[in-house]
Amino acid sequence: MKEQEPAEYTENDFLQEVASSEYEYGFVTEIASEKAPVGLDASTVRFISERKDEPEWMLEWRLRALQHWQGLHDRQAYPRWAHLKYPEIDFQAISYYAAPNSKPKYKSLDEVDPELLRTFERLGISLTEQKKLAGVAVDAVIDSVSVATTFKEELAEQGIIFCSFGEAIDNHPDLVQKYMGSVVPYTDNFYASLNSAVFSDGSFCYIPPGVRCPMELSTYFRINEAGTGQFERTLIVADKGSYVSYLEGCTAPQRDENQLHAAVVEIIALEGAEVKYSTIQNWYPGDAGGKGGIYNFVTKRGICAERNAKISWTQLETGSAITWKYPSVILKGDDSVGEFYSVAFTKGKQQADTGTKMVHLGRNTRSTIISKGISAGLSNNSYRGLVKINRKAEDARNFSQCDSLLLGDKCGAHTFPYIEINNPTAQVEHEATTSKVGEDQIFYCNQRGIGEAEAVKLIVNGFCKEILAELPMEFAVEAQKLLAIELEGSVG
Amino acid sequence: MLDIQNLSARIDDFEILKGVTLSIKPGEVHAVMGPNGSGKSTLAAVLAGREDYEVTSGTVRYLGRDLLEMEPDERAREGLFLAFQYPVELPGVSMSNFLKEAVNSVREHQGKEPLSAVELLKMMREKAALVDLNPDLKKRSVNEGFSGGEKKRNEIFQLAMLEPRLAILDETDSGLDIDALKIVAHGVNQLRGPERSFLVITHYQRLLNYIVPDVVHVLVDGRIAKTGDKDLALRLEEEGYDWLREETIAAPVG
Amino acid sequence: MTAVKTIDIGTDRPEARFAAAFERNRPHILNGRGQPLAEKRNRALDRFLELGFPGPRDEHWKYTNISKRLERPFEIAIAPAVPELRPQDISRFLIEGLEGSVVVLVNGVMVPGLSSIATDGPVIVPIMDAIGNPVFDRHFGRYADADDAVFTALNTAFARHGLFVHVNRGVKAGTLHILNVTTGVRDTFLQARHLFVVDPGASLTVVETHAGVDAEGMFLNAVVEATIGSDARFDYYRVQDDPGTSAVTGTYVYQEGASYASCGTVTLSGGTIRNNVAVLPDAQHCESHLTGLFIGSGEMHIDNHTLVDHAQPDCFSNELYKGVLDDSATGVFNGRVLVRRDAQRTNAYQSNKSIVLSDKASMNAKPELEIYADDVKCSHGATTGRLDAEGLFYLRSRGLTTDRARTIMLQAFVRDVLDAIAVEPLREVLERAVENRLAK
Repeated sequence: MKEQEPAEYTENDFLQEVASSEYEYGFVTEIASEKAPVGLDASTVRFISERKDEPEWMLEWRLRALQHWQGLHDRQAYPRWAHLKYPEIDFQAISYYAAPNSKPKYKSLDEVDPELLRTFERLGISLTEQKKLAGVAVDAVIDSVSVATTFKEELAEQGIIFCSFGEAIDNHPDLVQKYMGSVVPYTDNFYASLNSAVFSDGSFCYIPPGVRCPMELSTYFRINEAGTGQFERTLIVADKGSYVSYLEGCTAPQRDENQLHAAVVEIIALEGAEVKYSTIQNWYPGDAGGKGGIYNFVTKRGICAERNAKISWTQLETGSAITWKYPSVILKGDDSVGEFYSVAFTKGKQQADTGTKMVHLGRNTRSTIISKGISAGLSNNSYRGLVKINRKAEDARNFSQCDSLLLGDKCGAHTFPYIEINNPTAQVEHEATTSKVGEDQIFYCNQRGIGEAEAVKLIVNGFCKEILAELPMEFAVEAQKLLAIELEGSVG
Repeated sequence: MLDIQNLSARIDDFEILKGVTLSIKPGEVHAVMGPNGSGKSTLAAVLAGREDYEVTSGTVRYLGRDLLEMEPDERAREGLFLAFQYPVELPGVSMSNFLKEAVNSVREHQGKEPLSAVELLKMMREKAALVDLNPDLKKRSVNEGFSGGEKKRNEIFQLAMLEPRLAILDETDSGLDIDALKIVAHGVNQLRGPERSFLVITHYQRLLNYIVPDVVHVLVDGRIAKTGDKDLALRLEEEGYDWLREETIAAPVG
Repeated sequence: MTAVKTIDIGTDRPEARFAAAFERNRPHILNGRGQPLAEKRNRALDRFLELGFPGPRDEHWKYTNISKRLERPFEIAIAPAVPELRPQDISRFLIEGLEGSVVVLVNGVMVPGLSSIATDGPVIVPIMDAIGNPVFDRHFGRYADADDAVFTALNTAFARHGLFVHVNRGVKAGTLHILNVTTGVRDTFLQARHLFVVDPGASLTVVETHAGVDAEGMFLNAVVEATIGSDARFDYYRVQDDPGTSAVTGTYVYQEGASYASCGTVTLSGGTIRNNVAVLPDAQHCESHLTGLFIGSGEMHIDNHTLVDHAQPDCFSNELYKGVLDDSATGVFNGRVLVRRDAQRTNAYQSNKSIVLSDKASMNAKPELEIYADDVKCSHGATTGRLDAEGLFYLRSRGLTTDRARTIMLQAFVRDVLDAIAVEPLREVLERAVENRLAK
C-alpha cells in the first residue's frame, strides 16, 4: 500500500481520501414489494393497520398520534434548534409503508424471498438455521417489516420474549399496551408523533424477573425501497433484576433522494434491571457532494423506573446525511445509573446533532456521558446534551466529557451542553475539548516508521478506544473495522 | 485529660471500633500502634468529630466534659488538635488568613484579645522555624502544591500555632523520609509540656525512637489488645502483630 | 432561518408602549445635530418591533423570563428629572484610593459638578453632544448587534444618556470610574449607552458602578460599545450592586491587531440581571479575557451570556465565571466560543464553576463551543456542586464555626476571579463587599 502512495503524500491527501470514501452497503435488492400510496392521512394509517391485521386499540392509538402530528405539522412545529441545515421535508411525498412482498407477516423462513435472505448474507447477517451468528439472536427488519427472528425458541425457554413488534401486538397485547408510549408518548415531539402514527414494525423484547439474557439480542434494519421512509419502533422491558444487551445495526442502499428514518426506541428497566443498548448506525450518508442519504430523526429514551436500575447507551454513528438523536435516560428510581458512550464520525456533507439527556429524578442517581466527535470533509458534528438535576434528586452525580477531533479545515465541531441544577447536593462536572491530530503525535509515529495515514488511523482509534470498548465483544471488532473503512476511504 | 470508655463506632455498616478503653493524663504521651485496618485512624476521626462515623456505644470525657456531645470546631477551640493523616488542600485560602481565623477563634474562646496581623506574622515566623517550614508560605494556599513532607510539617506548625491541650497525630510519620521524620519529631518534642498531652497514632515503631511515649497501646481488630511502656513498641517492631492477634482471639478483651 | 414578523402593537404588549413613546418623543429624541443618528434610531425601532421582547421559547432566553419582568408598566424615561445631589450624597459610592477620572451620571445625565476628569485622561463627552463628531458618528452603533439583539435595538432607538469616551493614539488614559446614580425615581425604564474608542497604542481602564438613592423598581437597558485599536489595551469592569434595579446590559468589544481587552462583570445584588458580553477579536494576535462573578440570594436571577467570536488567526481568549447561589436565587451561564474558518491557531478556554447553597436555588449552565477551524486548542469546563465537605471539616477541626468555615471556603472559591481584577482599589472594595455578601 505505502509504496503506491505518491512521494508527496500529505495529511491533506489523506483527508481528501477520507472525505471521498464510498459506501459499502449501497446496493439495492431486486425483490417484489408492496408500497402504501404516497402521502399521509387517516387512510394511510388505516391501510398500515389493516395490512398488519391489528386490533382496534392499536389503530385508535395510531389515529390519536396522527391527529396530534397533524396539529404539529400545521403549526410547523418541527424541532428547529438543532445545528442542522436541510430543506423542508415534504411529508406528503413519502410512502409510509413498504413490505418486501405481499406477505406482511412471515410464518417461517421458507416464506422469505431467497433474494432477501441473500441481502442479509451480504450484510454479514445470516438468518438461516445453519449459519446463524453464534451467540446473537437477530430480528431482521427490511423496510417496514420484520422478516425473521432467530433463536426465538431458545430464548423462550427462559421466558424471554424476543419478536417483531407486530407479533408482540398479537401475542402480548397486555405488555405492549402497558409500556408502549410510556417513555416516549406520541405527543413527545414531531418525529415521535409521526412514528406513532405510521410505525410499521420493529422489535419487542421482554426479559422476565431475575433472568440474565444468555445472548446478545440484535435488530438489523435495512431500508431497501425507493421513495419510502422507515418508521420502526422498539420496546424493551427488563423486569426486576434482569439483564439484557441489545444491539441495533442499520444500512440503506445508495440513492440520490433523501430518505426519512424516524424511529422510536423505548426502554423500561425495573428494580435492579440492567439494559445495555448499542447502536452501530451506518445508514447511507449521501455522496461526497451531499446528494441523497438518510435523514435520521430518532427518539430513543429509557427509564430507570425503579431503584438500582441501569441503562447504558453506546453508539457508533457513521452514517446518515443528517443525524438527530439524543438517546436519553430518565433516572427515576433511587440509586439508578445512566450512561451514554458515543462516537460520531462525519465526513462529506454529513451533519450530526447528537447527544443525550440525563434527567435525574431519584436520590443518589448517577450518570456518565462520554462523547467523541470526529469531523472530516465538509461535515458538521455537534454534541448536544442535557443534564438535569431535579429538586428532589438528592446526591445526584454527573460526569460529562465531550471531545472533538477535527480532520481538515473545512469541517465543524460543536459542543452544546445544557446543565440545569436544582438541588444543592448535586455534583456535576462537564469538560470539553476540541483539537486536531497533533503534529507531534504524527511525527512521533513517523519517526517509528508509521506512515501518515496509518498514524492518523491509529490516533483516531485511540481517541475512540474507550467508547468502542463499551460495545459488546462480538461487535467491537466490527465497529473498529467500520471506523477503519470510514477513515481509509476505500472498501475492505 | 482524656478518658475513653468502651468506645465502639462504625462507618456505614462496618463496625470498626469494638470497645476501646484508654485514659490519658496531662503531660503524657500515649502511642497507639496497630496493623492496617485495626481502627487507629477511626479512633482519631471519632475523637475529632468526623460525622461519617457513628458512635454506637461508650463514652469519651475530655477535660471533664462529654466530648461526643461537642461540635468539631468546639472541640478544637477547647484545645483538641488533630494532625491529619491526609491534610486537606484549600485552594484560594491563604495560610495567613487561615491561621488568623483559627488562632483568633481559639483565643476568642479563651477570652483573649485577637492577635494583630503583625503579632500573628511574628508568631508564624517563630513557629515555622520549629519545623523548618519556608517562612514565605503565608502567601500560599493551605496545603495546595505542598509536597507530602511539607504537608506533614504544616500540620505540626499549626499544632504549634494553636497550642492545644491534647494533640492527636494521625500517622504523621507516614510517607516521611528519615530526615523529615526527625524534623517533625523535633517539633513535637519542643511542644511537649506538663499541661499538653499527645496521642500519637502510628503504624511503625520508628517514630517512637524520636517521640518517646509514656504509654504504648496496641489496637487490633478494633480493640486495645495490649498496653505497655515503650518496650512494647520495640517488641512489635521485632515480632509484628500476629502474636497479639492470636492473644486476642484466645482471650478476648472485655 | 428566523422569519420576519412584526408584532401587533395594537395589543397591550409592552412593546406597544415603547412604540408610542418613540412616536411621542421623536422630535425630542432626534434633537441631536446629525441625521445619521436619526436614521439609525428609526431602523433600530423597526427592528425592535420586528423582533419583540423574547419569550421563553427563544433559545437565548430559555432560562430567563424577561417578558414577565417587562409586564410592569414602567415609565419610559426619555428625559428624567435630575435631582441635585451633593458630593457627600455620593461619596460612599466612590472607590477609595482609585486614581484617575470620575464621571457621575445622575439618572443618566452627566453632572460636571460631581465629576472630576484628569487632564491627561480621555476625552469625555455626553453622547448627545458627540453627535456630529466624525469619530463618534463613524463608530456609534457599529459594534452593538442591533440586528440580533432586541434590547440593543431598543437602546439604539432611545439612548440619549451616556458617554462618548475617546483615547487618542498612544495615550495612556488611566482609569475612569463611571458612577451611575439613580435617584428620586421609581418603576422607571432607563437606557444608557456608552461608546469607547481607544486608538492604536492607547490604553483605558473603565470601572462602571451603579447605585440607587431613593430609587426602586428600576429597569436598566444599557449598551456599551468599545473599539480597541491595534496594540491598544482596554479593561472594563461592570459592578452591579443595586438591589432596586433589574437590568439587561450588552457589552460589545471590537478588537484590532494585537490588542488586549478584558471585561469583568460582577453582580452582587439586583432583581433580574442579564449581562451580555460579546468580544470580537478581528485581527491577529489579540488577547481577550472575560471574567464574571455572581452572588445570588433572595429571589435574584442572574444570567450571564458571553460570546467570544474568533474570526482571525493566532488569538487567545480566556473566560472564567464563578457563581454562588443561595436562597431562591437562580444563576445562568451561557458562554459561547465561536472559532470561524480562518481563525487558525486559536487558543480559547472557558470555565464556569458554581456553588448551589440552598434547596431552592438553581443553576443553569450552557457552555458552547462552535468550531470551524482545525488547528485550534479549545476547551470548556463547567462544574456545579456544593462546598467540599473535607475542606469544611478541616477548617472546623482548627476551631472555625461552621458558618465561618463556609464563608472562608466561599471566599476561596471566588478568589481567582477577584485576583483577575487588575485595578487594586476596586479589588479591595470588592473583596470586602464579597465577604459581607458571603458571610452568614
